[in-house]
Amino acid sequence: MVGSDISPSKISSITAHLETCPECQQEYDSYSLALEKTKEWLEEDKPDWVEREWQQAVQEAVKEKESVISPLAPWPFKKAWAFALMGVLAVALSLLFVIKPFSIGEGAAPGSELLYRTQAQLLRSAFQESQQEVVKMTMVLPETGQKIVWFFDKNFELEVKE
Amino acid sequence: MWMKDEDVLVSEVLEGDQSSFEPLLRPHRQGLLNMAYRMTGNIEEAKEICQEALIKIYRYLYRFEKGKNFKSWVYKITMNSAYDYLRKRKKSEDIIESQKRQAFNGGSDPEKQFLNREIGTKIESCLQNLSPKEKAVFLLRDGDGFSVEETSKILKCSSLSVRTHLSRARKKIRAQFEQSNLGFRKEVKSEL
Repeated sequence: MVGSDISPSKISSITAHLETCPECQQEYDSYSLALEKTKEWLEEDKPDWVEREWQQAVQEAVKEKESVISPLAPWPFKKAWAFALMGVLAVALSLLFVIKPFSIGEGAAPGSELLYRTQAQLLRSAFQESQQEVVKMTMVLPETGQKIVWFFDKNFELEVKE
Repeated sequence: MWMKDEDVLVSEVLEGDQSSFEPLLRPHRQGLLNMAYRMTGNIEEAKEICQEALIKIYRYLYRFEKGKNFKSWVYKITMNSAYDYLRKRKKSEDIIESQKRQAFNGGSDPEKQFLNREIGTKIESCLQNLSPKEKAVFLLRDGDGFSVEETSKILKCSSLSVRTHLSRARKKIRAQFEQSNLGFRKEVKSEL
C-alpha cells in the first residue's frame, strides 16, 4: 500500500474495498501516483559531492576536533569528567568555607581559654552579621543536665570569664 | 571492492586512525547531502550543514554504541544540524531568497527535460510548503526508506507523531499535485 505503513492484515481488507469502490480507488491512485512521482524526482535529482570537496569536508572535520580538544583535556572528554570535577570542587569548597571555621577550636580542650576565645569570636561575628538586638547562648552540662542561658544585647562587650 | 565493517572502522577511528573516517562515512555521503539539500533547498547551505554534521560525527563518535544502526545515527546528527541551521537562517535571512535552486537536470530529451524540470519545481515547492518536521519525516520515510520506528528515533519523537506528520505531508503533496496543471489527473485517468 501507499508508503508501506499498513499491516498485512489491513492491506487485504483495504484491497477488497478498493475493488468495489471506484471513488476510493481513484483516491488511492492519485495518492500513490503523487508519492511515486515525488520519489522518482527525489531519486533523479540527487546532488552529490565533488570528490575534492568531500575530501576537504572530511579533513576539516578531523582538523576541527584536534583544535577543539586541547592536550590538557582528558580524552575522550565526557560529561562524567565534568561532573566528577564539579563534585570534587564542591567538596573542597565546603571543607574550606563550612567545616573549617567550626573546627578552629577542635584541638582545644573543653573549658580551655582557646575554646572560649573561639566561641566569643563566633558570637561577635554573628552579632555583626545578623544585626540582632539580642543573642541567646545556652550551655548544657552533660553530667547534670543543668542549663545555663546567657543573653547578650548588641552593646554588650563580650568578655571571657572563667 | 572489499568494504570494512562499520564497527571495525569506528574502532579504528576511535583508536586514532583518522584515515578510517572517510571510508566510514563514504556510503552515506550522498544521502546526507541530499537530506540537507531537501531541508534547505540550497546546495551550498546543504554542504555547510553536512560539514557541521561531519564535525559532530567525528567529535562524538565515541558515543556511538557499536552494533546499533550507524546510518540512523549519522542521519540523526545531520538532521539536528539542519534544524539548527534552519532556525538560525529563519532569524537572519530571507528564506525565499536563499531557496533559489540550481538548474534541474532531467535527462537528454529536451521535452522530457522541460517536463521533469517543471515537475521538479512543483515537487520542490510542495516540499518547501511542508513544515520542517513534516518535510523531515517525509524525506526520511519516503525518500530514504527508513522505517517509521527508525524515523522516530532519528527525530526523537514517537511513532505516532511520525505517522501523523507523514500523513499530513503526503496529503499536502497530493493536494499540491492535484492543483498543479501537469496533466496529473489525465495520467491517473489513463492509468485506470
